[in-house]
Amino acid sequence: MASEDLFEHEFSEEQDLELQQAMETEAEELGETEEPLDITEEAPESPEAEAPAEPIADRPVTNGNKAPSDHEAKMTQLPLARIRNIMKLDPDLHMANNEAVFIVAKAVELFIASLSRESYSYTAQSKKKTIQKRDVEMAISAVDSLMFLDGAMNF
Amino acid sequence: MVERIEDLNLPNAVIGRLIKEALPESASVSKEARAAIARAASVFAIFVTSSSTALAHKQNHKTITAKDILQTLTELDFESFVPSLTQDLEVYRKMVKDKKESKASKKDSSTTENANAIATAAAEVAAE
Repeated sequence: MASEDLFEHEFSEEQDLELQQAMETEAEELGETEEPLDITEEAPESPEAEAPAEPIADRPVTNGNKAPSDHEAKMTQLPLARIRNIMKLDPDLHMANNEAVFIVAKAVELFIASLSRESYSYTAQSKKKTIQKRDVEMAISAVDSLMFLDGAMNF
Repeated sequence: MVERIEDLNLPNAVIGRLIKEALPESASVSKEARAAIARAASVFAIFVTSSSTALAHKQNHKTITAKDILQTLTELDFESFVPSLTQDLEVYRKMVKDKKESKASKKDSSTTENANAIATAAAEVAAE
């Protein structure tokens, strides 16, 4: 499966270069605060490192991607990269933009909260405090919108 | 690309925290129940994605957008999620926009030389 084609260009760049950029940017930031002279040394270095992979003109864009990912990390508790990987399991998915992945992550968080509350109502009914697996199963079979989970839960 | 099957599991610690946040303080959750909820969450993500893909295909566009996801959730009987998600989306958009702007202004003030150097290099590459 050609995973690179599944998502927008901007998107896969973020994934591929995330670690690398995190390190680079950190290095740059350190350089700026501690030894301003380093900036002039680093500047020519970075474009060289990235030039073989992509046009130099793209550099500011890819650099900018590191920062939003910081914010996304704060806005969602679930890791967006993981959500994206799960979404990519769909063979019919051509592309999904960043916003779509973000919304799915948020929806999954809401889903976890509502399934937990639903399950807990069965726990409370049997005068217990700890949710057991059967409480979750009962919640799933009781709620119509959770029908899609039937048969997907036992393996 | 997914290299290991574990890459598709949602992190246990985060799942545990999300569950706890939704429940009264005295409540807790067994390991098996947490695993079941985690699995349900993954299946939900796949379910929403494939439904959105189908919707996007029907409308003849290839890229899945936030709007497709929201519409899909309504169709799947999760419309109660939509108001909160719509709000989140606005905050998200604002953050991305602010970040871009602050990046741009930072570049102008502090690293004009770098930017110039890069622009020159880019121009050279373009010329070649």
